[in-house]
Amino acid sequence: MRRRFERLLRRLLRASVLERIAISIAALVASMLIGVVLVFVAGGFASCRVGLDVAGWTFCYNPMQVYYELFLGALGHPLEAGWHPLNFWMAKTLQQTTLLIFTGLSFAVAYRAGLFNIGTQGQLVVGSLTTAVTVLYAAAVVPGGLVGMLILIPLGVLAGAVAGGFFGAIPGALKAYGGANEVITTIMLNFIAVGITSTLLSWKFQDPNSSNPKTAPVPEYAEIPTIPYVGFDDSVSFSLLALAFAVALMIGITWLLTRTSFGYELRTSGTQPEAAAYGGVDEKRMTVASMTLSGAIGGIAGAFWVLMVHGNWLKNVPALGFDGIAVSILASNNPLGIGVSALLFGTLESGSQNISTATDVPPELVGILSGLIILFVAMPEFFRMIGGRYVDVGNRDPVRADGGETAGDDGGEADA
Amino acid sequence: MRNPFSGVRSLYARRPIPVILGAVIVVLCFLWGTSPGWQAATLRLAVPIALAAIGGIFAEKSGVINIGIEGLLIVSAFSSIIVTYWLGAGESTLAISHHWWGLLAGVLVSTLFAFLFAIVCIEFKADQIIAGLALWLIALGLAPFISRIVFNSPNTAGVGRFEDVTIPLLSDLPLIGHLLFDTPPQVYIMLGAIAVGWYVFNRTSFGRWVVASGENPKALDTAGVDVRKVRYAAVILSGVFAGLGGAGFALGYLETFAGGGDTAMQGRGFIAIATYLLANYHPIGALGGAFLFAGLDALQIRLQTAGYAVPTELIRTVPHMTVIVVLVLIGRTRLPEAAGENYESGED
Repeated sequence: MRRRFERLLRRLLRASVLERIAISIAALVASMLIGVVLVFVAGGFASCRVGLDVAGWTFCYNPMQVYYELFLGALGHPLEAGWHPLNFWMAKTLQQTTLLIFTGLSFAVAYRAGLFNIGTQGQLVVGSLTTAVTVLYAAAVVPGGLVGMLILIPLGVLAGAVAGGFFGAIPGALKAYGGANEVITTIMLNFIAVGITSTLLSWKFQDPNSSNPKTAPVPEYAEIPTIPYVGFDDSVSFSLLALAFAVALMIGITWLLTRTSFGYELRTSGTQPEAAAYGGVDEKRMTVASMTLSGAIGGIAGAFWVLMVHGNWLKNVPALGFDGIAVSILASNNPLGIGVSALLFGTLESGSQNISTATDVPPELVGILSGLIILFVAMPEFFRMIGGRYVDVGNRDPVRADGGETAGDDGGEADA
Repeated sequence: MRNPFSGVRSLYARRPIPVILGAVIVVLCFLWGTSPGWQAATLRLAVPIALAAIGGIFAEKSGVINIGIEGLLIVSAFSSIIVTYWLGAGESTLAISHHWWGLLAGVLVSTLFAFLFAIVCIEFKADQIIAGLALWLIALGLAPFISRIVFNSPNTAGVGRFEDVTIPLLSDLPLIGHLLFDTPPQVYIMLGAIAVGWYVFNRTSFGRWVVASGENPKALDTAGVDVRKVRYAAVILSGVFAGLGGAGFALGYLETFAGGGDTAMQGRGFIAIATYLLANYHPIGALGGAFLFAGLDALQIRLQTAGYAVPTELIRTVPHMTVIVVLVLIGRTRLPEAAGENYESGED
């Protein structure tokens, strides 16, 4: 009896993983379809010389061309002649993927503990400035060359992680000991992070040789190096070493969540807070710990943004933290799935730069798409209804009969 | 932990008249002691916060947490500006100024978005927090997207603002006359909406249904009222109020829409959420909270323009820091019992 029950459970678990993948793909397709309509209609309001004429109305944008540029442009147009896998756009895509793995993991770790960390963006902003400043000051006392590199890069990443972790611990502590809702506090802390960093920049760290709001560049040897011959050339700010680190962290977090007692406590306090408390898990400490970990990963994202992409800190930090939310939700907050979904969003991100050069369509399209993807992933019921109309979902009904009520509950998404 | 504000609340319940009188005296002291320019700015800046808060109260009281209210503010502010621009700012159709048509368009668009949000949450049982977040992110992308198509820039052109409405005689009253009766129309809308919100919750059966739908949907269902319909109505109302707030603020204060970064709304929708939590879902309390945050905002704008040697970027975060302090102080506000949960008739 018991074994049969376990077998049934295991089959259900596998089915639910498959179902989640299916829902993610369906969400992606659905948002793309809305995107097609949006781009086409928007083209009717834009002005252009040539376009598709329908009943005296000119539609300027061709959605097919937009998606061609968005996806294949992000890979450097592989269908066209003279394509080389190590091209500029490919490097851009992988560069964004690397950063999005970090921000996606940051959201996922908190989500697994039952917390919404909307503040990855703020943690990234604070962490990245700390990284830049730490490396700049340390470079004055550390020798240059390989030794400097081996000291400065880990130091910079550590500084970013510490600062981001501290900034993430604030909403964690406010939630645990003050009962403040972390969704609102982290969003507010995003605004505060922007205010604090720009104040610090103009107060002390502004590059005197530049009129743009940014810090002085870190020394060349403190930037994350590319591997000669194997990797992309130096003209693109992407390093395979950084991607390897991101993937290693991804695997590390998976291991942490599934194989350690800390991960077990984190997950149970997310899915079954009462049971966790009964089992001796200190929920308050867990809240602070998971938010700190989440913030530290956000800070690491900032460190890589500084040390790999720009070599200094700029005031206009891209919205990597918010994209990380989409990355993580699309992967149903599964650390390993984040790799796939970060690659997808990395493609979208680099493709959006490509559509703004190759077409007249505003690159903000990608922001809308990622919002739509989140929306569709949030309503699995939508696809179940559509799917149920065409496919006989045979084994679902008996499942519903004994535990179906939880289908729409939030607990469903949090465990995997 | 004891809620530090519960004392005030129970005092109000026991002795409403002295508490109201005390509040009036405090308000009068403020009116007497502070500069008229700061007061006027506070009133205008309170508009989006107070209206979004009223909308948020309706949605959340009915059991649907609408964290996407910032998105509703963004779409309504943007569409009101762009419709006014298309019709021709400063002109009028059917003897109604195009600013008012813009306001109507803003409210309609915001209501449409709220309706879609309601479908997603009620019909398809989406996770309300994630769906609300998605609503915000979609609006954050959509406004600059359309703006770039129309204006070739994430920022729209300017369309001017509403003309002030002056009520004769009343505007000659000392202290409050100039502030309340010689003021742009969105301020009247805000004060009217607060009154409507208070009336609906306290004097109508719909208000009681909304509360029941958030506290005990099963009981409401048993009483023969369709929980789904009540929730739909409440979420749509949140779209109407947020639309009035966003469009009124855009046409009565901003005059243009900046689509870069956090957009021109700068997180006022989230401040509105903190506001109604602070007020424990009471419409008049939400107005007070909106004045608090708007006053801070007006103060930081005045400090900036007055040229004090304080870093402006840091001062700009003061309202956001206050939100956090407020949330910590009243963090234990009790959400409606069924908030965030989907309800399906017939389940048990």
